[in-house]
Amino acid sequence: MPQENSYPALQAEGLTKQYGKRLALADCNLNVPRGRVVGLVGPNGAGKSTLLNLACGLITPTAGMLRVLGSPPAANAAHLAKVGFVAQDTPVYGTFTVADHLRMGAKLNPSWDQSLADRRIAQVGLNLKQKAGRLSGGQRAQLALTIAAAKRPELLIFDEPAAALDPLARDGFMQNLMEFVAELGASAILSSHLLSDVERVCDYLIVLCASRVQVAGEVKDLLAQHHRLVAPRGELDRLPAEVEVIRMQHTDQYSRAVVRVAGALPRTPWSVEPVSLEEMVLSYMTRAAGVSAGLTDAMAGEAVR
Amino acid sequence: MIWTTWRQFRGQALVGVIGLALIAAYFLYLGFDIRESYDNYRAQCASLADCGPQLSQFSADYENTLLYLAALLGLIPGLVGMFWGAPLVARELEAGTQRLVWSQSVTRRHWLAVKLALVGLASMVVAGAASLLLTWAASPVDQVADNRFSTILFGARNIAPIAYAAFAFVLGTLIGLLVRRTVPAMALTILAFVVFQFLVPNVIRPHFLPAEHLTMPMTVQAINQARSLGSITGAPVVKGLTVPDAWVTDVSELLTKTGEPLDEGIFNECFTNAPETGTAEGPYGDTAVCLAKHDVHVEIAYQPTSRYWSFQWLESAFYLVLAGLLAGFGFWRLQRRPS
Repeated sequence: MPQENSYPALQAEGLTKQYGKRLALADCNLNVPRGRVVGLVGPNGAGKSTLLNLACGLITPTAGMLRVLGSPPAANAAHLAKVGFVAQDTPVYGTFTVADHLRMGAKLNPSWDQSLADRRIAQVGLNLKQKAGRLSGGQRAQLALTIAAAKRPELLIFDEPAAALDPLARDGFMQNLMEFVAELGASAILSSHLLSDVERVCDYLIVLCASRVQVAGEVKDLLAQHHRLVAPRGELDRLPAEVEVIRMQHTDQYSRAVVRVAGALPRTPWSVEPVSLEEMVLSYMTRAAGVSAGLTDAMAGEAVR
Repeated sequence: MIWTTWRQFRGQALVGVIGLALIAAYFLYLGFDIRESYDNYRAQCASLADCGPQLSQFSADYENTLLYLAALLGLIPGLVGMFWGAPLVARELEAGTQRLVWSQSVTRRHWLAVKLALVGLASMVVAGAASLLLTWAASPVDQVADNRFSTILFGARNIAPIAYAAFAFVLGTLIGLLVRRTVPAMALTILAFVVFQFLVPNVIRPHFLPAEHLTMPMTVQAINQARSLGSITGAPVVKGLTVPDAWVTDVSELLTKTGEPLDEGIFNECFTNAPETGTAEGPYGDTAVCLAKHDVHVEIAYQPTSRYWSFQWLESAFYLVLAGLLAGFGFWRLQRRPS
């Protein structure tokens, strides 16, 4: 494979962003290959928007390195053309009509695909003459998505695209989004505070909590690496070194642990169960919440539930 | 980017064009009115040489109007900075739409450059058109009054207002970029611009070229030419002295023969308790006679009227360089700390 084709979609080393004294993103290390649909999940305020805004060059890092498609974010016009971004709450110009937005997209993007834009606008039933300020949240999101996609980027980034939408609009939007990604052959990163938003579509997952990346990887690898162990109470206190405990819960008689093992799970006398993606994410969120709030594991677990 | 800038600006541009049209219509009317009036006065005298009183009257007829209009013209760059400059970036940052436009295939540097160039050019055109029309309208009066170098009128004629508009516009844009909120940025812009418009003519403009100096003996006649005498601090000052064909930039206190300021006690004594002569005339009467007896003089710094165009160019260059520096800072800031 030639060198210029081997760059990852997103590569971060020690990436840190600080707003005054508040740490928005701490020591973030990522290496996301291209061709993936990446789900970025974490509670509100975890640093998801910070990471995505950094990736689009809308803000600059305090420390660390970040490469998007092999270059610093927003390095130049050519690089900007390769990254499509739909920001949180999908900003559009209120006084511009839908047609004005498309015209702006055509003027500002050399790789603009007018037929794709026209087709999508017609498909979602937007009126070209309507002022964008009068569109509903769902329509606005569709417009923003169309502008981002019609420049035919290599990487599409969506910051909480579905947050403001009702369930029906959300479903339609996600459907559209996936069609775009498939049509463009692009990589995509979408963030959400709800795993259910992205679970259906992503094949790569990043869990971001308390300003830190908790876990990141291919969904199938993550599912293969995480297990639930169930054993009589107390027996899980001494586990082999290669077994990382993500979350431990105790009942009167049993202990249940969500663990991560890089390779094959060592032979254990206890019951081993598969873990759903949701339970895995929740375990990481619980652990992060416990660390950041100084709560005990069990209490934090209840708080998150 | 040009189309996008125009699309965003066209509403404001329309307001600007309407405003300019109204002003232009009035200036045209005023210009013809002034010329008609000039001809009428001129018809009352046989030759230009003995037309002095009539032309003085003509000039006096329009003096106040033209002062008001100078203030109005001074306001145009301020309004441009406030309504075109301050919202240029602040409105985007406030609405979050910079996240949309900066995600297109246009760098932030390019984005700001096109906006500054287009709207900045429009600002200069509006201010320039208004200024040139007023310069034309007022030219017969200016010729008679010969006071276009005076502090207020200087900034309301010819090319200086064009540079003011460029500066005010860039200033507003930069303040908007830093403050990130439209309304506070507008308020700060007009405030900062007014401060500048006060400081530059009084503090900076007199030093664009080294001043000429002269010593003026304060005879009874010379004292009576002054606009005011004394101040609330009690210092022995005269104000409003004029020198033919010059813009007076500084007048010293009343000085005695040795070059020392006149003793405040003597000054106040002359002011409040001058010996009656019974024959004194002029606005300061016996006070003038009393002061003149102490053999006082003042040192005057002035700029000859022949330097008028040098000053127009120097002042324009000064404001344009400032605008350039502010724009440079804006680019630097946008690159380093976008939002």
